[in-house]
Amino acid sequence: MSATDTTATAAGAPAARRLTTARALAEGIGQEMERDDNVVVLGEDIGAYGGIFGSTGGLLEKFGPERVLDTPISETAFIGLGIGAAVEGMRPIVELMFVDFFGVAMDQIYNHMAKIHFESGGNVKVPMVLMTATGGGYGDAEQHSQCLWGTFAHLPGMKVVVPSNPADAKGLMIAAIRDDNPVVYMFHKGIMGLPWMAKNPRSVAHVPEEAYETPIGKAAVVRPGKDATVVTLSLSVHHALDVAEKLAPDGVDLEVIDLRSLVPLDTATILSSVAKTGRLLIVDEDYQSFGLSGEIAARVVETDPGLLRAPLRRVAVPDVPIPYARSLERAVLPTPERIEAAVHDLVKA
Amino acid sequence: MAEVLFPQLSEREPDAEGVLATWFVGDGDQVASGQLIGEVMVEKVSGEVLAPTAGQVHLLVGEDQTARQGEVIARVD
Repeated sequence: MSATDTTATAAGAPAARRLTTARALAEGIGQEMERDDNVVVLGEDIGAYGGIFGSTGGLLEKFGPERVLDTPISETAFIGLGIGAAVEGMRPIVELMFVDFFGVAMDQIYNHMAKIHFESGGNVKVPMVLMTATGGGYGDAEQHSQCLWGTFAHLPGMKVVVPSNPADAKGLMIAAIRDDNPVVYMFHKGIMGLPWMAKNPRSVAHVPEEAYETPIGKAAVVRPGKDATVVTLSLSVHHALDVAEKLAPDGVDLEVIDLRSLVPLDTATILSSVAKTGRLLIVDEDYQSFGLSGEIAARVVETDPGLLRAPLRRVAVPDVPIPYARSLERAVLPTPERIEAAVHDLVKA
Repeated sequence: MAEVLFPQLSEREPDAEGVLATWFVGDGDQVASGQLIGEVMVEKVSGEVLAPTAGQVHLLVGEDQTARQGEVIARVD
């Protein structure tokens, strides 16, 4: 599966089925609930409302309130409930409405969900999915716009996956549910195909009907190119592809890598691309310092400092909270304009 | 032939206008009865548009255009 799947059909022919990312995600959860009675969903507004970003739409009607639980506003209580259920053999998907709310529940997430399998020498498993919404760009300010995937990836014990398109959203969710480890599943609000968010043409695309897994820990080369490597994830994949398409007529041929997983990180795919292009731009909507972009840079240079023919570049959120003012928010996010400017610097260097 | 109507999402305001958010099918595609073909929105509430019958679909309202609830937005022949 990749973001470049096309769905063009001749007029009159049966159309390839297209879904929004939100619907693809809900379909994946529903198919796993049909397959395995131990799969349940819980969280704030995930039942009657279908999830505020549509990730659980239609599940309550299909599976009923015993398997699709609307919870009170206590993240500590319901994430803890999920951990207990997982330890007893269920496979819960727990939605933390916005990742920004992780703070109140971090003891449950990091001291329990992420550590029980380690503390027990692997005898007690926590096959749980913590699903959460990330990202900015729509004026939701400091406490509702962060990505924070670097925070979860930094703390050992959790797999972390971040889809960028409908097909991967479904496949990564199914893989996360079937995985015996705790998996943090982080979707950007801007890729969900929601009617009330900014329209994004790649958030509606072909999605296979049957259940399938998108492998955790495997990046996708979504655009092959020879001049420079852009390593990115989530909504920034779309921006990077837009920039690549814009610059192609000028003779700049970008390779774009969609990481899809942070933990495990597919270092091999990054290294083989950088070995080919010799130039690396990392685009990350998370904070710049002490995070994903620095980790990728370190993995490249500690493997072979000679791979890079020019200093690498980073486009990330400078180390400030996400501002509310539209102009200031645009200034800190990794917009296509910032990516394009960084590409120009990189290929000239 | 069957008409596809903009679904009634606001009971309080039956004449309210909404937006055709997404067509999941292209103009002229073959659709199955009951297939999800589109998504609409009134205020911030979204709703599904299902094909009323099998056949070839003709889209009469473009994405991001406004339409009244109950208005004919597509036809299936």
